[in-house]
Amino acid sequence: MDFEFLLDGTLKVISLEKKGGRLVIRLGETLLEADVETLADGTVSFLVGQRSYLAHLGRDGTRILVSVGGEKVVVQTPGQDGGHPKRGEEAGQKGISLVKAPMPGRVIKLSVAEGEAVRKNQTLAIVEAMKMENEIKSPHEAKVRKIFVAAGELVDSNRTLIELEPVT
Amino acid sequence: MFKKILVANRGEIAVRIIRACRELGIGAVAVYSEADRAGLHVQAADEAVAIGPPPAIESYLDMDRIVAAARATGAEAVHPGYGFLAENAEFARRLEREGIVFIGPNPDALELVGDKLRARAAMEKAGIPIIPGMKSAAGDASETAAAAKRIGFPVMIKASAGGGGKGMRIALGEDDLVPALEAGRREAKAAFGDDSVYLEKLIEDPHHVEFQVLADNRGNIVHLFERECSIQRRHQKIVEETPSMFLDPALRQKMGKTAREALRVSAYNNAGTVEFLLDKDRNFYFLEVNARLQVEHPVTELTTGVDLVHQQIRIAAGEPLGLKQEGLQQRGHAIECRIYAEDPANNFLPSSGKILAYREPSGPGVRVDGGVYNGWNVPLFYDPILAKLIVWAETRELACARMVNALRDYVILGINTSVPFLRDVISHPRFRDGDTTTGFVKKYFDGWKEGKPGPEVLALAMAAAALGGLDRPRGGLSGARREADGAASPWLSLGNWRIGGKS
Repeated sequence: MDFEFLLDGTLKVISLEKKGGRLVIRLGETLLEADVETLADGTVSFLVGQRSYLAHLGRDGTRILVSVGGEKVVVQTPGQDGGHPKRGEEAGQKGISLVKAPMPGRVIKLSVAEGEAVRKNQTLAIVEAMKMENEIKSPHEAKVRKIFVAAGELVDSNRTLIELEPVT
Repeated sequence: MFKKILVANRGEIAVRIIRACRELGIGAVAVYSEADRAGLHVQAADEAVAIGPPPAIESYLDMDRIVAAARATGAEAVHPGYGFLAENAEFARRLEREGIVFIGPNPDALELVGDKLRARAAMEKAGIPIIPGMKSAAGDASETAAAAKRIGFPVMIKASAGGGGKGMRIALGEDDLVPALEAGRREAKAAFGDDSVYLEKLIEDPHHVEFQVLADNRGNIVHLFERECSIQRRHQKIVEETPSMFLDPALRQKMGKTAREALRVSAYNNAGTVEFLLDKDRNFYFLEVNARLQVEHPVTELTTGVDLVHQQIRIAAGEPLGLKQEGLQQRGHAIECRIYAEDPANNFLPSSGKILAYREPSGPGVRVDGGVYNGWNVPLFYDPILAKLIVWAETRELACARMVNALRDYVILGINTSVPFLRDVISHPRFRDGDTTTGFVKKYFDGWKEGKPGPEVLALAMAAAALGGLDRPRGGLSGARREADGAASPWLSLGNWRIGGKS
């Protein structure tokens, strides 16, 4: 039986087959045969040969988060929920780039104005979260095309703060 | 002894103090903001009182509300934890007037050590070495620039009311000075309500070593040895250990004596920490007194066998110190890792949100001081510390091994945390060598990214995601022998699985 997941935006197919009380797992080139126990509270124990792995699961909408032996894997279930990330689509056009809030917080200062030319690493804005000030810096030399927020405003993670365009 | 104590804090430290109260047979009162109604400290306490909206200024920093909560519950003393009102002399005075005991130093001592400039002057007068720098707060830009030149670049800008890395900025040269001053002032204002800053000579790549001190109300003072706290990011500690690899017995003794002296000249009582910087030649300089229980206090507890919160409560109740300097010893090695809600691969920016899976490590010599649980929504209003993982072992080498294992066993899903970063720090050969200066993170971990899982882990993770039981009723399959009952076999239910299967 095949399952589809998005991993870092790429579609992956994992195939699971039951064979003699074991689970045959196939992902691309990787082929594993495992003994599986589904335990309480979203944990799964695997024995691959003699090697023991414990997986912990968490779910958040279409995202499934898995921790295996201290390593973390995040996959998305594809489909109508818009699981396909749109990263870079709107930004790809005409060299325009969007500067986004890296975390939820409050914009405490805008250091530039629309139309202003900025250097690489120049501070564009300062966002405060959890009592820490975080300087939002320009990723490259550019001109500030548009500012979407005002000082004092609360912003969510990934909210577009500033749009940059190439210097002409 | 007190019958009831109000804990004016939240998160892991509130839980830690509440537990100590209960161990001593003292009732514990929690206070909580609207964001913390479901907080672990509320669950742990005997009583809990709502004190207002999520922003700290309207709740955990609101003295009126905290005093009212103490009055309403009949608490005779308040333990402030760290942060919030812990080092606020006005709060300590206010409680004194209300006839409530503040579990911490007296207000005069708090005022003295809280004013970094006054503290520097007092220490200098007592013959304690201080870092060269300004003797009064920075004035206008041109005056400050002249002072910076006198001290000699690079300089460190510090908040006069400071602590916890807030308001601290480095200016390498004249060009950096004005923006660094501006940022330092703004952050100081936001953190302490006071924007005055001063300049000190920057000690390059120092060791940060602090001494834990306890002083009772009768003039008895002991130190409980050092903590090495050099592994920092954003001037905030993330790994602490004791003993320090950098001290030898003679230097340890000398610094311990200086630490006791620092508290004596400040007429200090209760628990305090004297922070020092050591340069590469092992010259030590007084940095500041932290007039509170420190985040990293557990490493001292594990190596000395002294419960610092119990001591704080006993001292505040007026008991004489039951400890003698010559009776105190360090045994074994302890390391603490601070588990923050932050993204170490993205400039340590804070992360908030719901914890979707949570499992704390355990085992011999492993202690977790936690403030979160599975399903808890980490609010963005407060310091992003989630928990502290502390290990003890007979040697540093074993303590490192124990820490790496414990970090591997620490499962936190749903938010970014410092766990994978800390695992790489503790595993790093230079950390193992004891090369732990404050420049460590920048030197060895600039641009750090979490290692990508190998193909086997990836395949198992996706198999687990497909099998996970997330969509099935909880508990039905738990612990059952499924081979006997083939129908309950996990992968037989694959047909009912709803996520993206194309079968």
